[in-house]
Amino acid sequence: MRRPALLLFMALGPLVSCREKPAEVTISETRPLTTKDVAPKLDATSDQRFRDAKPSPVQGETPVGWLKLPATQMRLLNYRFGESGLGEVWVSISSGSVLDNVNRWFGQFDAEKLDAEGLAKLRRIPFAGMEGVWVEADGDYAGGMGAPARTGYSLAGVVAIDPHGRILTVKMVGPKAEVAATKGVLEAFARDLRFTE
Amino acid sequence: MISTRRAVAVRPTSFPMNQDSANPTSSARSLPGRVFDFFSGFGLATTLLLLLGVLTWLATLEQVDRGLYDTLNKYFDWKAWYLFPEIDGRTIYFPLPGGYWVCALLLLNLTLGGVIRARKGWKHAGVLISHFGILIMLVAGGVTQHFSERGHLEVGEGETADTAEDYFEHVVEVAEIKNGQPTAIHEIRGEWLIDLQGDKRRLFRLPNLPFDLQLTRYESNAMPVAATERAPAQSEPVVDGYFLMSRPAEKDAEANTAACYARVLHRDGTSGGAFILAAASFQPFTVRHDGRVFTVDMKKHLWPMPFKVRLDKFTAEFHPGTNRAKRYESEIARIENGKEARSIISMNAPMRYEGLTFFQAKFGPPGAGPGEKLYSVFEVVRNPGDQWPKYSLYIVSFGLGLHFLLKLIFFFTARSRYEHRS
Repeated sequence: MRRPALLLFMALGPLVSCREKPAEVTISETRPLTTKDVAPKLDATSDQRFRDAKPSPVQGETPVGWLKLPATQMRLLNYRFGESGLGEVWVSISSGSVLDNVNRWFGQFDAEKLDAEGLAKLRRIPFAGMEGVWVEADGDYAGGMGAPARTGYSLAGVVAIDPHGRILTVKMVGPKAEVAATKGVLEAFARDLRFTE
Repeated sequence: MISTRRAVAVRPTSFPMNQDSANPTSSARSLPGRVFDFFSGFGLATTLLLLLGVLTWLATLEQVDRGLYDTLNKYFDWKAWYLFPEIDGRTIYFPLPGGYWVCALLLLNLTLGGVIRARKGWKHAGVLISHFGILIMLVAGGVTQHFSERGHLEVGEGETADTAEDYFEHVVEVAEIKNGQPTAIHEIRGEWLIDLQGDKRRLFRLPNLPFDLQLTRYESNAMPVAATERAPAQSEPVVDGYFLMSRPAEKDAEANTAACYARVLHRDGTSGGAFILAAASFQPFTVRHDGRVFTVDMKKHLWPMPFKVRLDKFTAEFHPGTNRAKRYESEIARIENGKEARSIISMNAPMRYEGLTFFQAKFGPPGAGPGEKLYSVFEVVRNPGDQWPKYSLYIVSFGLGLHFLLKLIFFFTARSRYEHRS
């Protein structure tokens, strides 16, 4: 008796869960206005709707030999470096924890991920008036969304929690030799970053 | 559960059939009788309680990687009939029943076995009362699952707020703008959005407005990204230079930002171009129709409160040398119909009023320095079964106390009777 009951129980699950909702729904209810309903900006363009118009909360001096590029949605500060023109450095605010971000970076190089104990062993460096975790990795870099991995690459970067509880990162990615030659500059750049808010 | 059920009724489900000759009661049982025996059996109760223990243990382990909200949904939502647990990120292909249904079966089992079938009489009153208390606890869980609402209300010192925001539910709002201000806000609730994955689309008729809305390609966590900055990975539609980049679910599910593609359908059969709705956007999309102006936006569901809350003073006390709060509390004024009532909400002392409970959840801004203006965040809960677990514990405690007291009295009575006889 127990076996048929179990099978019936498991079979009913998908049937109940997969009830199809209608293709058309009528919405006539309204909700009352609240103090959160403020005057909206009308006719905003997609750029205005999706880009944060506020200036970057962190600023830094562009090191000699680096090329400053316009900020993007995901890069508060954006630079190129190195003779190949492939080296990139950017400053971002990210989600998750410090460990999540360090492991995400390691994952992009197919490197073994760390636990909290491993994270504690990583070097700490001064970073925008805080203390950040210094991260390095080498190998094939698969950081692009679906883009093929780039071989012979290196990563150097810093991750920290900023005074507002956000994850602030500085990430350098490029050909191994160029990253190795520029790591010191990156460390100084990260140290001298300053908050503007 | 306390085993005081009639032994004769338990036996048939646990004894093999070939022993029925030794137990005439079993062979005489009808099918409904056997079903009753099964669902009221002590064996089923034990199995269910063990399962609940295992589910709770596995969910506790899994929420470390998966996040609390997702894990609770996976293990204890009513839609989860069964699940495959994960340990250290590896799926264990052994199906376990969903916690909601284990509790539902336990409710049935306890009602049939622990109340209907259990021995009656004043000698067993304590046990019956305890079983009744556990039933209330189980029902409270179901009521919370189906009828409770949760949100958070953020208010700065000296400021007043009247709206809580849902933690997880994203909705689409369509508002007519008059004199620059929104009026008559129509809300499409999240239950109508979450299944619009891939090319699945749904038409939302808005009879009070001059157009309808078609929504599709809903993502529970996505952000609009400029196609000039990153190429779409899987041929996502690009609308006005942007596409929706799907992101893995955040461990902290509150941080997810939903998004979808939308299109306005006018009543004359024409349609506007597609546009993106995203909780991560900074401004709404504007629709103009015959001189009237409307905005369409995706945001978290807003929940108007029946009164206003003003934060008069916020106090935080920290553990020495850390930024971990030892104690923090909010002195608030509840404003209703022009009258003010003062209250203090602290970490373990919520404010209960008009069916709502305000818990002190957190405060900000993170890392605030001395003299910086603080804000307080309250978790707002409307749960008809809010106090039932407490009542349940009182009832169970009373029942067990009564039961043990009666046992003690019986013990002494029996001993004095024995001594008297001897």
